[in-house]
Amino acid sequence: MESAEVEVRLLFFAKSRELVGRKEDTIKLPIHLLPAGLWEGILAKHPCLQPISDNITIALNQEYIAREETEPIVLKEGDEIAIIPPLSGG
Amino acid sequence: MDAHTSSTCDMDELVELRRNLEEKSLEVDRLRQKLKLYEEHDKRHKAMLDCELINDNNLHTIPHLSVISKLENSSIARHSRQLILPEIGVKGQISIANTSVLIVGAGGLGCPSAIYLAAAGIGRLGIVDYDEVELSNLHRQVLHTEDRIGIEKSASVTTAIKGLNSSVVCIPYHMSLNSSNAIQVIQQYDIVLDCTDNVATRYLLNDACVLTGKPLVSGSALRFEGQVTVYNTQDGPCYRCLFPIPPPPETVTNCSDGGVLGVVPGIIGCIQALETLKIASGIGASYCQKLLVFDGIDGTFRTIKLRSKKKNCVVCSENPTITQLIDYEQFCGSKATDKSKTVKLLSNENRISVENYANIVKEKHYHVLVDVRTPCEMDICQLPNTINIPITEVGKNNDNMHKLKTAIDKLTDQVQTVPVYVVCRLGNDSQSAVQILQEMLSDLPVTIKDIRGGLVQWAKKIDPEFPQY
Ligand SMILES: [Zn+2]
Repeated sequence: MESAEVEVRLLFFAKSRELVGRKEDTIKLPIHLLPAGLWEGILAKHPCLQPISDNITIALNQEYIAREETEPIVLKEGDEIAIIPPLSGG
Repeated sequence: MDAHTSSTCDMDELVELRRNLEEKSLEVDRLRQKLKLYEEHDKRHKAMLDCELINDNNLHTIPHLSVISKLENSSIARHSRQLILPEIGVKGQISIANTSVLIVGAGGLGCPSAIYLAAAGIGRLGIVDYDEVELSNLHRQVLHTEDRIGIEKSASVTTAIKGLNSSVVCIPYHMSLNSSNAIQVIQQYDIVLDCTDNVATRYLLNDACVLTGKPLVSGSALRFEGQVTVYNTQDGPCYRCLFPIPPPPETVTNCSDGGVLGVVPGIIGCIQALETLKIASGIGASYCQKLLVFDGIDGTFRTIKLRSKKKNCVVCSENPTITQLIDYEQFCGSKATDKSKTVKLLSNENRISVENYANIVKEKHYHVLVDVRTPCEMDICQLPNTINIPITEVGKNNDNMHKLKTAIDKLTDQVQTVPVYVVCRLGNDSQSAVQILQEMLSDLPVTIKDIRGGLVQWAKKIDPEFPQY
């Protein structure tokens, strides 16, 4: 059964902001999906993030998402997904 | 006839001698001035360095911190406003005074964290930096001063700390931390602050802190953004739990290329100092297993709850595969500095020197000059008659590219092949741009070359009045 979709907010920080060229976006994603699928969905819309794919923190409503986790996550309309690559400057 | 010739010769010789003498005396003046400047600098330097700089050869000689069990009257008076905070109190203050903190990086993060830790009465502060103070540091590295330009950053911070609180034992390390010395240095401290500016040192500090069991208060900043996390404490994750794989070097932006507003690392460094004081006084850190994300443009602070320790983390799990430090420059594929690197993408026949370009301008040879820096950088300085195509726009279908084609078109009546020169700040982006343009304009009668070393070399070798940034 195809899962219904919801619209969620994407927030870009640091290098992801530079690559995407904006701070925010929205994206339609299935309500039920695996963390890995969530990232694939974001990559499909923003393929420019590919080079930093392995070097980011993803947070759903300010909580870390482990991409290797096999427990599905549940999204609601208006959820906030933050893409946070580490900064290295000082 | 002979007499006439000889007298002309004498005249020539006389003029030549006068000119020569004048030149030499100007040269002597210049040398005198230079000597005076150097002597003053040397005197200042010696006066400042009444502390011994630590390096790889005298690592074991650092002064010990004598443990106290009660506060002196002078300390009570100095710290009275924080002593009356019940969360700190006398017990907390004694703990702070008995704590040794190592700050790695005496820059935009290290300066504010060092001065607030010293002000709060931390017992011993080690300051590690391999670099010397430069003018372009002062907008964010606020403990350094104009008259300390050229002096070791670690010594400069030590001088500032001594001026604020002479009871702090401050130890300047003029050296880089690496896999052969980091453990020995870190072992002598209770808490480590990551105030560095590069990826390789961040992994080095993480592993060294895991191996020695020290909390790592990590801060970072770029542009208007900052981040804080305290790693390796209260059972929280380490840096590698979150970032097992280092980022590809070409995706890492440093402060000298990306820019940074000084107050942003200032804010982050202050939060690092606060976290450190809470660990030292026994309150405990807030950003353990949490990531603070500061956006200075929006004025927002977000706190992200992070993962717990990664069960198979290579360094902090129960079965680590990394049990001693490795080569971090090799692991990250990048140097342990934030200095911009110079790349070489083009062969020599596709490049010209700044001297040759200066000649082309002087002799008014037909050519087109393309500058591939951002409009923001173009505002700082530019060469005359430049077409600006920011590197991200090169090769795309846009107005700027159209302008370039029109400029080439115009010159095809004058010359058979139109020389196009591409410039940027350092001579890296200009090479990528040449590669793209050569492909894109292959049907036009052009030769496209980059100006080696960019505007920095132009300022160094051709026009000393040209601004450098
Ligand atoms: Zn770990």
